[in-house]
Amino acid sequence: MVGPVSAGSRGACLVGVGETRYAKWGGIAGTSEYQLAVEAILAAVADAGMTPDDVDGLASFAEDRNDATFMAADLGLRELRYASLSWLPGGGGACAAVANAAMAVQSGAAEVVVVYRSLCQGQFRRFGQGPGNIAARVGPPRIPHVRRASSLLEAHVAFTMPFGMFSPPIAYAMVLRRHMHRFGTTAEQMGHVAVTTRAHATRNPRAVMGDRPMTMDDYISSRMVSEPFRLFDCCLENDGACAVVVTTAERAADTARTPVAILGTAQGALQGFGHGQYSNVGMPDDDYSSSGARGVAARLWASAGIGPHDIDVAEIYDHFTGLVLLSLEDFGFCGRGEGGPFAASGALAWPGGSLPTNTHGGSLSEAYIHGLNHVVEGVRQLRGESTCQVDGAETCLVTSAAGVPTSALVLGRP
Amino acid sequence: MTARWFPDEMPMPAANAHTVGWWEAAADHRLVVQRCTQCAHTRHPPGPVCPRCRSTASDWLELPGTGRVYTYTIVRQAFIPSLQDRLPYVVIAVELDGADGVRIVSNLVDAEPGDVAVDMAVEVAWEDMGPELAVPRFRVAPVASGRKERP
Repeated sequence: MVGPVSAGSRGACLVGVGETRYAKWGGIAGTSEYQLAVEAILAAVADAGMTPDDVDGLASFAEDRNDATFMAADLGLRELRYASLSWLPGGGGACAAVANAAMAVQSGAAEVVVVYRSLCQGQFRRFGQGPGNIAARVGPPRIPHVRRASSLLEAHVAFTMPFGMFSPPIAYAMVLRRHMHRFGTTAEQMGHVAVTTRAHATRNPRAVMGDRPMTMDDYISSRMVSEPFRLFDCCLENDGACAVVVTTAERAADTARTPVAILGTAQGALQGFGHGQYSNVGMPDDDYSSSGARGVAARLWASAGIGPHDIDVAEIYDHFTGLVLLSLEDFGFCGRGEGGPFAASGALAWPGGSLPTNTHGGSLSEAYIHGLNHVVEGVRQLRGESTCQVDGAETCLVTSAAGVPTSALVLGRP
Repeated sequence: MTARWFPDEMPMPAANAHTVGWWEAAADHRLVVQRCTQCAHTRHPPGPVCPRCRSTASDWLELPGTGRVYTYTIVRQAFIPSLQDRLPYVVIAVELDGADGVRIVSNLVDAEPGDVAVDMAVEVAWEDMGPELAVPRFRVAPVASGRKERP
């Protein structure tokens, strides 16, 4: 394996991971979402063999309710030298937050940056209900009129929510319908993602759905949510938090655990992508029926100095099964329109598949923590600690959400 | 159409300085698209600047109100409780005629949900939701003259 230039002594490494327990929606009521974030951060710092006194930076991504400034004060950090929030929306920003942390330590702006995410949907609105429902909950029925928008996003989703498209499964079902129309993608092909991912989760004691094996018959007979998406095409909504610790390669050499190198990063959006297919159905046909990550993928492989054929294991953001197929296409594991047959070939399965994918059970079956748990699993794979361990794994692709401006990482050995 | 399609509890649209003109036109049952007055590029949703030539000048181009289904989904879960009685409903993306590829999200109404298909010809059917608010839904268009019918 040829290492990229940036992964030398100046490279950034992941040296700690931490998680709270993951529970079904509303399953964690006695501990605040904010405290869960604290607990995940403390666990990640301890995993790195550090204390909060070593931490001088915090990073997260859009729609985080748990401000880094309050977090720094409450954790008693000696001095906050770096705090950033990626603009990338929803699950698109997890890898970008890690990349921003890496850039911070590489530049010397900070030395130890913790990236965190806590999602207690039982304590707040369900993410899957979408932004439109904020309006729906304001008081009793009123005289219908156009209100003043309080944000750019609110003005945008005004063109979707009065038509009942106020939830991610509806928006992305339309993307998959277009993909099916163009390429013949089938429900059974999406089902391979759901069933394979669930099989991985059954080996993972942290997985919310770990005790619920799934057959293809179970998948096909699950109820329709928004055609072509069935219930089992949709990720979980749950409670939990996780965090990862990023530092310099030099500092990483002194930490408790085997460091994992960040070999490449990329983030961004295609021209005209805006907030993605969630609020924009007008993008070019090839982009609309895709993950939207074509540009991120090209820059990621250039950044890492390796390509898809060099990847041993992948943790692909899986808010919906069908979008995993689109990501596999855009990151180059198969041709355009071939994501369905690729998944149906068994490629994603551990063990034995050519690209074991979502070895923790993903957002479909482990937990939905906006994909930061995919970074955690990537670290586990490269430490040799996964419950679906790929023998001798040296490289791992981690992606953030398809269908929105997004980001990705290549992890490897220092 | 006169009947209300969705219940009162549906989220009402919100507008900003750039989009309010679109909603004002809609209240008059005029389906419009924002057009750059410098390069004639059309864009949606409306915004402050042309992404092609970066001119900030724009006007509203009135459209014939016809188009084709680009993609769709049949929604079978009530994401707000009052929609339970409306299930299933069809959300479509319509590629609008005369708008140079602009698409909008809407609903297919007055049709069996299972009849929806990509490339189906549709035409606008305004729904008045109040004295100052109307939204464009779409119904199946009559077969246009000069267009081949399927045998």
